[in-house]
Amino acid sequence: MGTFIQLVVDGLATGSIYAALALAIVLVNQATGLINFAQGGMAVLSAYIAYVFVQLGLPLLLAIIISVVLSFLFGALVERFLLRRFERGDPDTAVVVTIGLLTLVTGISAVLWGYNNLAFPSLFPLTSVEILGAVVSVRSLATAVTIVVIMVVLQLLFLRTKLGLALRAVADNPASAAFSGLPVGRLLMVGWGLAATLGAIAGVLVAPQLTLTPGMLDTALVYALAAVILGGLSSPIGCVVAASAIGVLENLVAVYIPLIGHDLKIAVPFALIFVILIIRPQGLFGRKVVVRV
Amino acid sequence: MRKKPGGVLGIVAVTAAVALSLSGCRGDGGGQGGGSASSPGITDSAITLGITTPLSGATAGPGKCTVAGVSAYFGAVNAAGGVKFGDGKTRTVNIKSYDDAYDPQKSLANFQQMVSDNVFAATAGLGTPTNRAFRDAAISQKVPQVLVMTGDPLFSDRKQSPWQLGFVPVYQNEGAAFGKLLAKSGAQHKVAILSQNDDYGKGYVAGFKDSIKGASNISVVGEQTYEATDTSVDAQLTQLASSGADVFFNAMSITPLTIASLQKAQQIGWKPIWFLPSNTSSPTAILEPGGAAAYPGIYSVSFAKAPQSPAFAKDPDVVKFLDELKQYGNYPDMPAFPHCMWSYMVGATLEKAFQNMKEPTRDSFMTALRDIKGLKAPLMLEGTSVDTTVDGQPAVSSVVVQKYNGKGYATAENFG
Amino acid sequence: MSTAATVRRPRVRMILTAVLAVALIAAPLALPAFANQTLIRIGVYAVAVLGLNIVMGYTGQVNLGQIFFVGLGAYVTAYGVNHGWNILLVFFAACAVAGLVGLLVALAAARLGGLAIAMVTIALPIVGVPLAKRLSDFTGGSQGTSARFTDAPDWSGLDNDQWQFYIVLVVSAAAFLLARSLVRGKYGRAFAAVRENEAVAASMGISPYRTKVLAFTIASIFGGASGFLYLAAVQYTSPETLSFGHSISLLAAMVIGGAGSIAGSLLGGAYYVFVPQLTNAIDPNLTTVSQGAILLAVLFLLPGGLVSLPRVVRRLTRRSATRRSTARPAAETSQQTPPAQHPVPDAAPEGPEQTERQDGP
Repeated sequence: MGTFIQLVVDGLATGSIYAALALAIVLVNQATGLINFAQGGMAVLSAYIAYVFVQLGLPLLLAIIISVVLSFLFGALVERFLLRRFERGDPDTAVVVTIGLLTLVTGISAVLWGYNNLAFPSLFPLTSVEILGAVVSVRSLATAVTIVVIMVVLQLLFLRTKLGLALRAVADNPASAAFSGLPVGRLLMVGWGLAATLGAIAGVLVAPQLTLTPGMLDTALVYALAAVILGGLSSPIGCVVAASAIGVLENLVAVYIPLIGHDLKIAVPFALIFVILIIRPQGLFGRKVVVRV
Repeated sequence: MRKKPGGVLGIVAVTAAVALSLSGCRGDGGGQGGGSASSPGITDSAITLGITTPLSGATAGPGKCTVAGVSAYFGAVNAAGGVKFGDGKTRTVNIKSYDDAYDPQKSLANFQQMVSDNVFAATAGLGTPTNRAFRDAAISQKVPQVLVMTGDPLFSDRKQSPWQLGFVPVYQNEGAAFGKLLAKSGAQHKVAILSQNDDYGKGYVAGFKDSIKGASNISVVGEQTYEATDTSVDAQLTQLASSGADVFFNAMSITPLTIASLQKAQQIGWKPIWFLPSNTSSPTAILEPGGAAAYPGIYSVSFAKAPQSPAFAKDPDVVKFLDELKQYGNYPDMPAFPHCMWSYMVGATLEKAFQNMKEPTRDSFMTALRDIKGLKAPLMLEGTSVDTTVDGQPAVSSVVVQKYNGKGYATAENFG
Repeated sequence: MSTAATVRRPRVRMILTAVLAVALIAAPLALPAFANQTLIRIGVYAVAVLGLNIVMGYTGQVNLGQIFFVGLGAYVTAYGVNHGWNILLVFFAACAVAGLVGLLVALAAARLGGLAIAMVTIALPIVGVPLAKRLSDFTGGSQGTSARFTDAPDWSGLDNDQWQFYIVLVVSAAAFLLARSLVRGKYGRAFAAVRENEAVAASMGISPYRTKVLAFTIASIFGGASGFLYLAAVQYTSPETLSFGHSISLLAAMVIGGAGSIAGSLLGGAYYVFVPQLTNAIDPNLTTVSQGAILLAVLFLLPGGLVSLPRVVRRLTRRSATRRSTARPAAETSQQTPPAQHPVPDAAPEGPEQTERQDGP
C-alpha cells in the first residue's frame, strides 16, 4: 500500500512537469488557434535567461521575474515578426514555422550555453514531507501548487475576463473579430506573450530537476501534446487533469503490469486517449466544435 | 515548372557530355591503390582524420567532447611541429568533424562525405547505432574506423570487423569489475538493478551478472529498466526500494536522471551502497548535487583521471590537458563528460600508431594500430593501459574500481 | 507561337520525358560516388515525403508518424533479407506490412476528427521506438540490424553506389508515376473534396471516412516502400531510425517542398538530405541554428514551399515587365496563367491552395 501511494504521488509530480508545458500550449491555442511546437524551446531559453541573471548575482526570484518579462516581449515579437505572415495561410505551414522556430531557439541556446547540464537553483528547498505515508519533496509539491494556481488563473482569464473573451474571439475567427472592432494584431501579440510568460514559469519550475540543457523539454513536449489532446485543446483544467493522469497511470501500469513494464508504459496514455476520443471526440473537458457547412 | 525545351535539351546535352568525359576517369571509388602508393587523406606533410559524432541533440554533450579531446591533443602536437611518422616524414594532423545528431542515416552520409573529402580514417565517433551504420561501408571501402566510443563488442572482433577497433572498455567489463569486487567481499548482499533499456544498460548488467554467477553471498532481488528519454525514474526507485536491497547497481548514462535518483532514493529513505558507471560518476557534476555523501558508499569504475577531482587538481597530465582543451579544443569549460579525457587518449594512441606505421597507407596504419601494448596514455589511471593486441578487446580493457570519498575517488581494493 | 505552348504538344512532351529518363539513367555513370549516394538518399526520403503529401497535403489529415512506416518497412526488409527471401517478395512484404498496419490504424483513427489522427500518429513513433527494442528477436534490439543486399552483382560491372542508384530510381520513379496518376484521377478529386470540406464531400457522394482511410493506407504503403529503399541505401536500421524527431523533420520537408504537389515531394526529399549536409559544411558545431534559420528563411520567402519558387519569380518579373513596357503584358499573362489550355483536360486540382501544377517528375 505504501508503495502504491508513493507511486501515485510520484506520478503526480512527474505529471506536473508535463502540465506546466501543456498549459502554455493550451494558451497559445486558445489565443491564436495554433499548436506551437516551439513552446518547449522558448521555455528553455527563458530558463537560460534567468540562469544568466542568477550568475550575475541577482536573487533568484528577481532573475525569474526579469526572465518572465523578457519572455513576454520575446513571445509578442515572435508573433508580430514571424508568425503574423503565416496566420492567414495554410495551418500546416504555420505549424512547420513553429518547428523551425523550435530548431532555431534550441540552436541558439546551444550556441550560447553549450550542451552541458547546468545546475539551476530552485525556489523551493529539496526537503521532503510525508503525506499518507508517501514521501514527497517540497519542491515537487510547490511546483504542483503553482501549476494549479496558474490553471485557475487561466480558466478565469478565458471565461471571466474581457481580455480572455477577446483572445478567444480572435483565435476563433479573426475576420469577424476585426469587424467587431477588436485590435486583432495586438491581441495575437498579447496571446503569444502570455504563453511565452507561462512557458518561462514552466521552464524555471522544472529546470532544477531536469537540469538546464537545450533539449531539456523535448520529451516533456510530447507528453504535453498528449495531455493537451486528451484534456481538450480548450480547457486548462482538462489538460492539467490529463497530464496528472498520464503521470500516475504510467507509474501504476509499469509497476503492476510487468508485461508492459517501464519500457512500454509510454503506450498507455496514448491507448487511453484513443479510447476516450472514441467516446468523447472533443477530449475530456473540451467544448464541442460544431462544424458548419 | 515548364522549362523551355531549349533549356532542358541544353541541360541534357551538357549532362551527357559530362557523363561521357567523366565515365572514363571514374575509378573504383574509395578503393585502394595497391603497393606503396599512399592512401587517400595522407600527403608528405599532413594527414586528415574524420569524426562523425552527435554535435547537436540529446547526446551532443558527450559528442562535443569526442571532438574536443582529439583536437586538443593534435592541436598541441601540431603546434610543436607535428608527428614523426614511421616512414620518416613529419606530418601535421588535421581533424574534420561532422554532426550526425545520433542518426544512423546521417552518420553513413557523413562517412560517404569523408570518403569524398579524402579522409584517411574515421575515429573517435560516439554511439553504437551511428558507428554500426557505416561499419559495412568502411569495411568494403577499406577505410579504418578506429578507436570509436562505443562499448559494443562487435567493433573489437577482428574477424567481423577487420577495419575497426573500439576504444572504451566493452560495457560488460565495467559491470564485471564491480561484480567481482562485490563477490569477493564474502558478506551477504542483496542487489537491486536499474539499467538503461539499450545495449549500454544491457551490457553492464550482463557483465555484472556473469561475474556474480556462483557467488552464493550475492542475490539480485529487483531489476528494472528506464528509457534514455524518460524525464523521471521515481517509480522505478520506489519499486526497487521496496525490495529491501542494500546494494544498488545503477547502469544509467543520463546526467540529470542520475542526480535525481541520488536525491530521490534518500528522500524515500532508501540508502544502499551505489554502483555508477564511468560516465555518470563525476564528483562535482553529479555526486555533489545529488547529495551522495548520505550513502554508505558510491563505487564506480574508471580508467581516466577525473580533472574535477581535487586529488588530480595539480596533476601535470590534468593541467596540460585542461590547458590544451581550452587552447586547441575550443572547449573552455571543465569537462562534464569523461569522453573529453577518453578522446584525448585516443589522440595519444593514434600518435603512437602513426609513429610506428612504415608506409603511408591504411593497411600499414591498421597493422601499426593493432600492435600497441602497454601504452600509458596521458590521463590514464595507475593500473590501466592501452593494449590493442588482444582480439575481442578494445584498445582499453582494464578498469579500476573506485570509491567516492566525499570529494573525489580513491582506488578500492576491497568492498566495504 | 510561344515556347510554353510548344512544350504542351504531346510529341514534344514525350521527347522531353525520354531525354529526362536518359539523363537519369546516364547520371550515375558520370557522377562521383558521393553525388550518387546523395541522390540515392534523396530518392529514399522523397518517397516518404510523397506518401505524407498524399495523406496530408492532398487529403488534409495531419500525420505526425510517417517515419514509423519508414522504419517498419526497413525492419521488414532487413528481416526478409536476413532470412533469404526473394528480393521482390521482400519489397512487397515491406509495402504490405506497412500498408496493413496503416490500414488498421486508419480504420480506427479516421472515424474521429483530425485531432485523433494527429494523436494516434504522434503515438506511432513514440511507442515504436521502445517496441522495436522490446522485439529484439525481429529487430536486433537497440544495436539495430544490418542487411546487405544491394552490392552490385559482378555481371553488371557497376559500382555499389551505381547499382543502388538504379534500384532507388526504379522504385521511386514508379512511386511518383503512381502518385501522379492517383492524384489526377477520381481519387485525387475525392482527396481534395475531403480536404476542403467533409460535409460537402459527403453531399457529393464521397465518403470522407473511406477516403481518409484510403489516403492514410496509401501513405503507409509509400512509407514502407521508402523503408525498403532506406535499407537499400543505408543497409542498417535501428530504433533511432523511427524517432519522433525525424517524423517532424519529414513533415517540415513536405511543407518546405510544397504541400499538395508531386514535384514538391521530390524537393522536400532533397531538402531533407541536403540541408544537414549543407549545415555540416557551414560549421558542424552550428547545425541546429543554421537548420532552423534556413527553414524559417525558406518559408518566409516562399510560404508555398520551394515548388512555388518559379511562380514567385515569374510574378516578380511580370511586375517589373509591366512597369517597363505596356505593350507586352497581355501576351505574357496568357502564357503564365493557362488554366483554359491545360494539357490534361480531365485532371483534378492537385491541391486546394494554389500550388504550381507539375508536369511529370
